[in-house]
Amino acid sequence: MSRGTLLPKSGHHDRRLEVSIAGIPLRNPTVLASGILGMSASSAGLAVALGAGAVTFKSCGLEPRKGHPCPAVVPFEHGLLNAVGLSNPGAEQMAREIADFRQRFQIPVFASIFGKTVAEFGQVAEIISKARPHLIEVNVSCPNVESELGTPFGLDGAVTAEITRVVKRASEGIPVAIKLSPQAHGIGRIARACQDAGADAITAINTVGPGMVIDPVLRRPILSNRVGGVSGGAVLPIAVRCVYEIASQVTIPIIGTGGVSRADHALQLILAGATGIGIGTGLHEAGDGVFTDVCQGLSDYLDRNGLDNLDKLRGAAHD
Amino acid sequence: MTDGIHSPFEGTPVAVVTSPVPVRIEDVIVHHEALKTFVLEAPFPVAPGQFIMLWLPGVDEKPFSPSLVTQRWRLRAGRIEVTARAVGPFTRALMACRPGQTVGIRGPFGQGFSLEPCSLLVGGGMGIAPLRYLADALDSNGLPFQAMLGARTAADLLFVDWFQRRSASFYTDDGSAGVSGPVTQSLDVELESGQFRAVCACGPEPMLLAVKKACETHSIPYQLAFERYMKCGIGLCGQCCMDGTGIRVCKEGPVLTARELAGVTELGLPHRDATGARGPSGHI
Repeated sequence: MSRGTLLPKSGHHDRRLEVSIAGIPLRNPTVLASGILGMSASSAGLAVALGAGAVTFKSCGLEPRKGHPCPAVVPFEHGLLNAVGLSNPGAEQMAREIADFRQRFQIPVFASIFGKTVAEFGQVAEIISKARPHLIEVNVSCPNVESELGTPFGLDGAVTAEITRVVKRASEGIPVAIKLSPQAHGIGRIARACQDAGADAITAINTVGPGMVIDPVLRRPILSNRVGGVSGGAVLPIAVRCVYEIASQVTIPIIGTGGVSRADHALQLILAGATGIGIGTGLHEAGDGVFTDVCQGLSDYLDRNGLDNLDKLRGAAHD
Repeated sequence: MTDGIHSPFEGTPVAVVTSPVPVRIEDVIVHHEALKTFVLEAPFPVAPGQFIMLWLPGVDEKPFSPSLVTQRWRLRAGRIEVTARAVGPFTRALMACRPGQTVGIRGPFGQGFSLEPCSLLVGGGMGIAPLRYLADALDSNGLPFQAMLGARTAADLLFVDWFQRRSASFYTDDGSAGVSGPVTQSLDVELESGQFRAVCACGPEPMLLAVKKACETHSIPYQLAFERYMKCGIGLCGQCCMDGTGIRVCKEGPVLTARELAGVTELGLPHRDATGARGPSGHI
């Protein structure tokens, strides 16, 4: 980026791309994925300027966390490896950032929460609900803190359902999405359990792995945490498969996330059954124009196929 | 760098190396026990004011803006110099590094200084380090400049001999070298003289804000190098975004001009720390 080309002002407007997730209207299906830019009201505001349809804040827990030392984010040929380690200023502070965002921007805002115990998910949900985010995404699947927090809750259907119920009770009518791990066996069945427990949406997928990159000269893993979640182009086919499986099991909307940096990637997820399209690592792979470019590509596809909206495409890859 | 009149790399787009490259520490220059310059092999060019992420395996990775980069790319003999003071666990571990050891670096990241004729360089404390590379680049391009450099004590003043051979004045808080008091004390007089067409500054944020104010008073364009806690260095994590516009210090910065600072509301506040919270624990 050369000096002076600061930010494209949200470029692409096409009413045919408007979608609704759990009753929340989005100007387009793209959703800034959790963990990218959503640290503060102003940093999340960047994604608004870049054209995102909604933004998800970084996951927060009950207490402030510094996360892992750096390197915490390392690019590789087909994406990123990250082990940021759930750094966050704590739910109280995050609630203030979200409330500030709500005042300053017109775009829907999703909170993301995690807990060390099932009950803690409820406590965090209660705190964050005061900021009135449009949706609360529940991160039951962060792979980077396993040594500290144990196996991700999201690998177990019964526990995930229980967390769903606890968060629903604590979130004062705000829609709840559960963010699932691609590592879960039978991700469709787990999504179904979430729906039965009252979930309003499913976000799929969280990062894959964990993976590792090793420097051959220094002969050690590059990430300070040694292992980290894999995102970006490498995980797109896994995301498509997971969304496809989930869509065959649930009727609630799916925010398909994983490896999207172009419109044809987004289309695959929509055809598999996604309503929203999460974009995170795509910002690294395709640059700041990724939201606008994906939307432009979707509009072009609607033009070519003579369609008025995305509805006929959603889940169209199913028999 | 499109606006940079004399960017050292003009016309040569520089690919950013986003994953750490192992490099040898060629030399360590000891200014004193807790203040050293590390001379590294340079696997990529870095423009003045840009930064690299320096990785000490098993410790951490931190951003540094080089105090000098020598560019003999065709000979594969470029060097990146990083000057650091021991302030925390990372820099204390760095002080223990010896020539011959291997560390990792990636970059170059962010936007640096554009080289302008008749520049005034204002540096405070460790902020003098990147200005030394800027001064060297101005020199190589035949662009005249003057420097005003300040630190707490004489022992903290970096590159005094080097700057003395050019054109510089010195300031210390305790009067142990140069003029006693802040480096910004005679800024108004200097800018009033009409001999400067640009100001480049690097140092503590209160100093940067004093420079900004003086430049605005005298309608002189400024370039200020800012510092924020960084996690990814590549514009993704949002950790270094400034309140107001969300501008990323790692990507749109670290050198920011009036245009990029417009709408920023957090200047002079305690910085956000590793958790993302702003508060008494954040330093300024």
